[in-house]
Amino acid sequence: MKRPYKIILAFTGILFTSAAFAHTINYSLQDAPVKDVIWFYLKLGFEHIIPTGADHILFVAGLCLLSTKIKTITWQATAFTIAHSVTLALSMKNIIVAPPAIVEPVIALSIMFVAVENMFAKKLNAWRILVVFMFGLIHGMGFASSLNEIGLPPGKFFTSIIAFNAGVETGQVTVIAAMFALIINRFKNKPWYRKRIVYGLSGLITLVAFYWTIERVFSS
Amino acid sequence: MKKKLLYTVLIVLFIGAAGFIVINYKNNKAKKGTAVYTLLERKGEQSKSGEWLTMKTSVAKLLAAIKENPSDKKSLTALANYMIMEARSSGNYSYYDAAAMKYINDVLAIDPENFEGLCLKALVQLSQHHFSDGLATAEKVRQSNPYSAFVYGILVDANVEMGNYDSAVTASEKMMNIRPDLRSYARVSYLREIYGDYTGAAEAMQAAIDAGTPGDESTEWSRVQLGQLYENMGDLKSASMQYTLAFNNRPGYPYPLAGLARIAVANKEYDKALAFYTEADSAVNEWGFKEDMADVYRLMGMNDKASDISNKVLAEMEEKAKAAIADNTAGHYSDKEMAEACIKNGNYDKAIEHALAEYNRRPGNIDVNETLAWAYYQKNDTAKARQYIQVALKTKSQNPRLLCRAGLIYMKAGEKESAKKYLQAGLKNNANIFPVLKEESTTALKQL
Repeated sequence: MKRPYKIILAFTGILFTSAAFAHTINYSLQDAPVKDVIWFYLKLGFEHIIPTGADHILFVAGLCLLSTKIKTITWQATAFTIAHSVTLALSMKNIIVAPPAIVEPVIALSIMFVAVENMFAKKLNAWRILVVFMFGLIHGMGFASSLNEIGLPPGKFFTSIIAFNAGVETGQVTVIAAMFALIINRFKNKPWYRKRIVYGLSGLITLVAFYWTIERVFSS
Repeated sequence: MKKKLLYTVLIVLFIGAAGFIVINYKNNKAKKGTAVYTLLERKGEQSKSGEWLTMKTSVAKLLAAIKENPSDKKSLTALANYMIMEARSSGNYSYYDAAAMKYINDVLAIDPENFEGLCLKALVQLSQHHFSDGLATAEKVRQSNPYSAFVYGILVDANVEMGNYDSAVTASEKMMNIRPDLRSYARVSYLREIYGDYTGAAEAMQAAIDAGTPGDESTEWSRVQLGQLYENMGDLKSASMQYTLAFNNRPGYPYPLAGLARIAVANKEYDKALAFYTEADSAVNEWGFKEDMADVYRLMGMNDKASDISNKVLAEMEEKAKAAIADNTAGHYSDKEMAEACIKNGNYDKAIEHALAEYNRRPGNIDVNETLAWAYYQKNDTAKARQYIQVALKTKSQNPRLLCRAGLIYMKAGEKESAKKYLQAGLKNNANIFPVLKEESTTALKQL
């Protein structure tokens, strides 16, 4: 067998290991009214970004730094959202499950990748959207493992997943809004914007993500 | 051109790093898969017992057997059994549960429907506090063998932890019908206690002790449980006698020492209590002993020392919790214990967070509801405290700590009649509960 196929098999062997993993069930919401379930998971999704998801915040902040145009971030955020929604649902259904020991360091790597790319790319292209989509797939698996800490109520799978996703989206939109309101809109016309803001923040994000990558690889 | 090169380098680096992460993971997993778990040396008196020496010899023989034939299901099962037994004796659940699970998985990889393998898997899942998984595994085994008292024993435990008390009673009755032995009587005792019948619980626990062999871990464990029942009934003399007997029958056994320590606390003999706890703690790594020791330091006014111990315990608990999140097939859930520890440390937000995490897993369990209610009480959210304490009281348990906590919650909620009823019930026998709670309850009752 040629080596590339071996590598692909190694990856798929890790992803499709559903039998080994069991997802937690949230029994407390089993008989709760639908509105309570929606509110619970909406809040949970939001809190997973703000304040507890420092890595996701930095990833979204990294996406915002590529360009000062709203259209650019909209395309990227849409690709990211579609991708993570797919893997979140598939992971919670046990169709694809990847161990956190792989997902978490790769999430940190993805943050680093986006931040480094910001330093030499200036505008959106199809490649960037594809990359963000691929990273969204990984982040979705990360969302799944943290959602698994709480679990899903029996019989309310889609309601809770959709509410959790909506919460994550609200968190992401809040980060994007904050980035534009506090940084991009205020400084985008300054001559030093790219040098100080884009390079500075992207460099900082790269360092933090590098630290997380190392920490997550060797603590697992 | 330069940009293309940069992209190529970035992609190559990314793929290389991701590949390293995957390979590193696979190597670690392979190491765990081929790991040979053996017994760790015991500490103190327990390392001198004949039982320990026999166990070491047996484990060595079994390890040699599986080295020769890795598919030897009988030896693998026996090894798993020893690891489970030693987890309880040593208190080192993280190591021995992982060890047991490794051998169980080896058995189930050869024979997925293996009866003993699945029974032991359910036991380890319960030990890891993965109660719903343990219940599901035990149910699966029961369907294939509905006449095993052992399986019904696991079903009793799992249903109790999940708060399905009626199902636990049904399983316990079936267990008693099949095999009335130490294990069955101990479960009957526990269920009677949950339903508020302390006299009946003590009788059943005495029957369990009578059915066992003095000195065996399970017999002396039951004796310690009987001592605790007496403590809750306010009969400290009988409790002390049970603990002394258990310790004499099984030298170095730490749980009766903890019981003697609690009695010393009740008698305000704090130095004596600390000596007992220190000895117990030197034999096993039990968070509860350390937390109790911190409580004694608080009573002595040594708050810094108490906080130091509590913080160390919490840090260790958090580390184990991280492992549970990283590997939900192997780690231990300890949110209830962490919630109680956070309450003692005054970190009520964190306590509520942990208690809610456990509540989401098993909303019907009375102990979890009690912890959650108490965390909300400390946070001054009386409405929520009242909501959860009502669930905690649903089996009419006469546990004095629960009753005192309930009384204080109702008092804060302005429901004087209920407050009086529960405080009087909690204090009536002068049970051995933590002095601070007792004092708070006594003061509250006087005001009513």
